[in-house]
Amino acid sequence: MTKNSSLLLLTKITIIALIVGAISLPTILEIVSPFWMLIFFIYWVIYTDTKAIYLFALILGLLTDILQGSILGQNALALLISSAFIFNVKKSFYVSNLTTQQVYVFFASLIYLIALILTHIAIQGFNFSWLIILSPFTASIIWPVVRLFLAKLKH
Amino acid sequence: MRLFKLLVPILISIILIVLDARFSYLDSFKRFTLTLLSPIYFVVDLPSHVVDWVNDQGSEKAQLVSENKYLEGKTIELKARLQTYNNLVLENQKLTQLLDATYTIPEHQITLAHVKSISQSRLKKQIIINKGSKDGVRNTQLIVGSDGVVGQVTQVTPLYSTVQLITDPTQHMPVKNVRNGIRGVTKGLATNERGMIVKFIPLDSDVKLGDIFVTSGIGTTYPPGYLVGKVSKIDKPPNEAFLTITLKPMQNMDKLEFILIISQKND
Repeated sequence: MTKNSSLLLLTKITIIALIVGAISLPTILEIVSPFWMLIFFIYWVIYTDTKAIYLFALILGLLTDILQGSILGQNALALLISSAFIFNVKKSFYVSNLTTQQVYVFFASLIYLIALILTHIAIQGFNFSWLIILSPFTASIIWPVVRLFLAKLKH
Repeated sequence: MRLFKLLVPILISIILIVLDARFSYLDSFKRFTLTLLSPIYFVVDLPSHVVDWVNDQGSEKAQLVSENKYLEGKTIELKARLQTYNNLVLENQKLTQLLDATYTIPEHQITLAHVKSISQSRLKKQIIINKGSKDGVRNTQLIVGSDGVVGQVTQVTPLYSTVQLITDPTQHMPVKNVRNGIRGVTKGLATNERGMIVKFIPLDSDVKLGDIFVTSGIGTTYPPGYLVGKVSKIDKPPNEAFLTITLKPMQNMDKLEFILIISQKND
């Protein structure tokens, strides 16, 4: 993938992830829904040759924080750590079958969730719904659909 | 080198978290970026706009529909005004028994707004409304629905604002019992989608199931007299100094369509 096409895909992915994340859902679905920005970003990390992955993770995380009204840096930190995990397993992820990819997405989402919850607890205490722990599961379930959609978008 | 490339942005994130949680230096940056991102709300809301537009086009009842919308807004506005008046009548009855009191009815400016979306963050309970700084909306303004308090404005862009619901665990609101004036502070419950607790009410206080709490007006942030919630549960923990009172919000947050932004006349 050339640098330009990589950046174009990232722009598309960012816009779509922000829009999908801003769609209002019933409360329970909202809590258990996947971390959209993360799973869209995973796809980009897998297919890009760009070196500045962490810089983009920081920027997209900050955009997510601002749009969601979260504390600035909260989603950015979670996205950075998850991206580091995905970057380390990138080669294996690329050649894996769909089920193995779902397992990787699950662990990336779990890392994201832990980072998000830890920062939340540190700042605001234990005040969140425990249903949130289901979001890594929904992320891994929805991954095949996201992958198919983004593959179409890439071309 | 690779580790360094990761550690620098992580360090930046941590610094931003600390700065944003403890200070307000980044508020203008956040407001500016949110203004740039606000077309996202427009895009998300576009399908419902298109459906409304298609419904309105070619309909002989178009005028009736717009009139109906206007009247619906007016009804909500009047019901919200009534909340303060009802409270004042009750207070007035009590006070006149004690002394010849003169009472001034609070003069609040009310702006009608439409709810664009409900919550987009799993760790916060919030809504987006279609009024922003261009319409005179400012941070900390009280938001009410037709039946009671909805929440408080926490973020403002020129076209949209974010409202944190009173049921959010980080939202605190000074309240008082309409029946006897006992004061406390509400706090949302994370585990209960539709609940709040009232803190700092002593164990021996006279609070009954069904009592109604309204905004007390203590401090300058919230105007007094707006309905907040009804007591649904009272616990007397043995080793605590205060009662644990659970409130059910008067306003059903699931059915919000129009809300009112309350501002003091001198705002």
